Amino acid sequence: MSASLLVFFVLSIVCVGGALGVVLARNVVHATFLLLLSLMGVAGVFLLLLAEFLALVQVLIYGGAITIVVLFVIMLTKSDDFHSMTDNQQRPIAFIVSLGLFGVLTFAAITGDTGNNVRSSLKFADLGDSLFTKWAIPFEVASLILLVALIGAIVISKQGEEE
Amino acid sequence: MTLVYFQILSAALFSIGLYGVLVRRSAVLILLCIELMLNAVNINLIAFSAYSEPIVATGQVIAIFVITIAAAEVGLALAIIINLFRNKGSVDIDEVDLMKW
Amino acid sequence: MSLLEFSIIEGIQMAWLAPAISVLAFVLIVVFRLFESKLGSAISILGAISGLSIVGYVVNQFDKTGAGEFSSEWFTVGSTVITVGITVDQLSVVMLAIVTFVALLVQIYSISYMKDEPRVGWYFAVHSLFVASMLILVLANNLLILYFAWELVGLCSYLLIGFWYEKRAAAEAAKKAFVTTRIGDVGLLIGIILLFKATGTFQISTIIHIAQQGGIADTSLMVAVLLLFLGAMGKSAQFPLHVWLPDAMEGPTPVSALIHAATMVVAGVYLVARVFPLFELAPPITLTIVAIVGLTTAIIGASIALVMTDLKKVLAYSTISHLGFMMLALGSGAYVVAMFHLFTHAFAKALLFLSAGSVDHGTGGKRDIRELGGLRHRMPITTITFSIGALALAGVPPLSGFFSKDEIMMAVMDGMHPIFFIIATLAVLMSSLYMVRVLILVFFGELKPENDGAHESPALMTIPLVILAMMSLVVGFFSSNWKSFFGEEASHDIDPLVLGLSISMSIGGLFLGWAIYTKRWVAPEEIAEKLKLFGRPAANGYYIDSFYQWTIDRIVLVFANMVALFDRIVVNDTVVNGTGYSVFLSAFKLRYLETGKLYNYALAMVIGVLFIGISKYWGIL
Repeated sequence: MSASLLVFFVLSIVCVGGALGVVLARNVVHATFLLLLSLMGVAGVFLLLLAEFLALVQVLIYGGAITIVVLFVIMLTKSDDFHSMTDNQQRPIAFIVSLGLFGVLTFAAITGDTGNNVRSSLKFADLGDSLFTKWAIPFEVASLILLVALIGAIVISKQGEEE
Repeated sequence: MTLVYFQILSAALFSIGLYGVLVRRSAVLILLCIELMLNAVNINLIAFSAYSEPIVATGQVIAIFVITIAAAEVGLALAIIINLFRNKGSVDIDEVDLMKW
Repeated sequence: MSLLEFSIIEGIQMAWLAPAISVLAFVLIVVFRLFESKLGSAISILGAISGLSIVGYVVNQFDKTGAGEFSSEWFTVGSTVITVGITVDQLSVVMLAIVTFVALLVQIYSISYMKDEPRVGWYFAVHSLFVASMLILVLANNLLILYFAWELVGLCSYLLIGFWYEKRAAAEAAKKAFVTTRIGDVGLLIGIILLFKATGTFQISTIIHIAQQGGIADTSLMVAVLLLFLGAMGKSAQFPLHVWLPDAMEGPTPVSALIHAATMVVAGVYLVARVFPLFELAPPITLTIVAIVGLTTAIIGASIALVMTDLKKVLAYSTISHLGFMMLALGSGAYVVAMFHLFTHAFAKALLFLSAGSVDHGTGGKRDIRELGGLRHRMPITTITFSIGALALAGVPPLSGFFSKDEIMMAVMDGMHPIFFIIATLAVLMSSLYMVRVLILVFFGELKPENDGAHESPALMTIPLVILAMMSLVVGFFSSNWKSFFGEEASHDIDPLVLGLSISMSIGGLFLGWAIYTKRWVAPEEIAEKLKLFGRPAANGYYIDSFYQWTIDRIVLVFANMVALFDRIVVNDTVVNGTGYSVFLSAFKLRYLETGKLYNYALAMVIGVLFIGISKYWGIL
């Protein structure tokens, strides 16, 4: 058992554990924090995959921005069963379905051709190169999307003198 | 630690996120589970990128875009949830069934 | 021949102009909506005069150039070429002359008779259309055009019988006429199609040519020809399709004169004459059937006419009887003789009908002969013309009817079994008797006091009467010219037996009528009592009408009701409405799929994706 494999298992336990917590937790805030835990685990996995920049971005965006915003909204939309949310009636079928999906994906993964299994690291400069030359247009579009989302969020949640 | 490990991890996260989306009753929690699914996809993408021979940056670039879009989407979705809360008094999506027969 | 060449008119080709002008008159009246104005009648009269002049010119040319046939291509269907064309030969020329001449006289008469009628323009319009279609019918050289004109003539008859459609009886009579002749028309159509199938063409001359060369099988020829005869039976009111003609008297009297005496009803006779070579080539039973039908019609018509009390009905049954005589002549193989009788009958019958109209006009609407009598004191011209017409049809020499009847009797004697001759003689006797009966009862005898106000009709009505009367007087002497015109030898030896029998029958009828109705040696009432066994059924038309009505009520309408029930329940409710309702029902059940809850929809999506993924892997999709 190499060191990276050990690290991998630990990280996957963190990720999956956090995820299970998100879907099973009674308390909304608990769920949020468990998500945060899971996503940090994901950041660790990125590191394992030699994608340092993305691990950084993951921590920054998810940990720094999204979780905060979600907590804000939870605070703003406080409801009575805040502390214990029950699940809806679809539990059995959803369980089966997601299990089925997991099975299908795993099956596809195992029976697929996976090449020669050598991890390589991407030079950071190459990433930047690729992002701004080959993927320049999607880059611009993504910034546009961000702008639109920003405006949209403001418009949608505006209170006051509409109608 | 071959590529398959990462794929299975990604599949697991994705299925768990899917289960959460189908089962949870609060809109905010559904949003969190969607984030889970997106991250699972990211793991997959980056794994493919890392194990490619010769290495290509495509997977990582797309992962960047996914994170970007996810962030934008969370912002918008939360705005909608706030609006929903204002109109209905709760974020329970069981009560959002005006399109019922 | 292209249509352009066809329209360069000269000689007998001009014949096609005659119907064209009448059609033009009709179109003008209809397009300018002159239904209520006198201008309509003027246009129609102009059309009739031009038609007559064209026909006169054509007859003139015909003497010089002889017969001719002209056709041009109309359109092509597959390998069949449909042509339109006219044929100008002896047969069509005489019919042209009769139709235009009588039509003109009737239209002049109508100006006065229909003077007070508001919709007089429409009357003249349909009149013109009728003249046009009749002319097309006699000019047609192929069966398709003939059928087209046949139907058109039927339509005009329907429109004119039902001219006073406000009256229920008139509308019913028009419908009855149309439906009854329709039965015949179906036969005609099937016959035409059969002939087309056998020969591949509609051209009459070509069909006859092929048949003469033996190109049509015996049985199919017989069937086709008998079906054509069925059409003729409908139009010419032969038994048992004669029931419409008496009811058609609901129309205006000039209409009865033109259509139901002189022209339309003879279309059937004309048709048989036109395709007569086919009749001759078919197995001999065919002509015998024609003769039997004609004889039956003659005797039935004559016997019913004897007991009718309405003036126009007597004339109607008389027409039926004489049409029977014409068919009898055709069945005996003498089509020239039949056409001659058509010729004389046309003038005489038109004359009689117009005189009846004059009586109607003069007495203020009386038509029942029991209410009339002694009109000779008040309506002298009408009396004279009616008498001439009546005696002509009775077969009194030297009037025209005597010659034509005599010819018919000779033909029957030569061509048929003696029983035909005997029954025909009886019919001749009866025809004489009923004519005399009407003549005496209406015009002679005492003038009833309520008829004191009767007056003679105006000139526009009496002049046509006089002209027709003169024709009836003189035409008879042209029988040998007639025969040579048609290319037959002038006359064989006159059979003294037949001649003597003819004269004695007609004179005998005269005498009998005089004896019964004037001198009252035997009172008519007594005779009616003694012959009640024959008289009562005759008065009821031998219950043929009742039989038809029973058939319609019990069989046709029952079947129709069943079909209507089926249509309503199965087709309408179950299939049409049911299909719509089933959509509604299923939607009612399926709407519960729309729960409105997002997670249900998400689940459905995921299941779909799974399904696609798995089946794609397993090769099902």
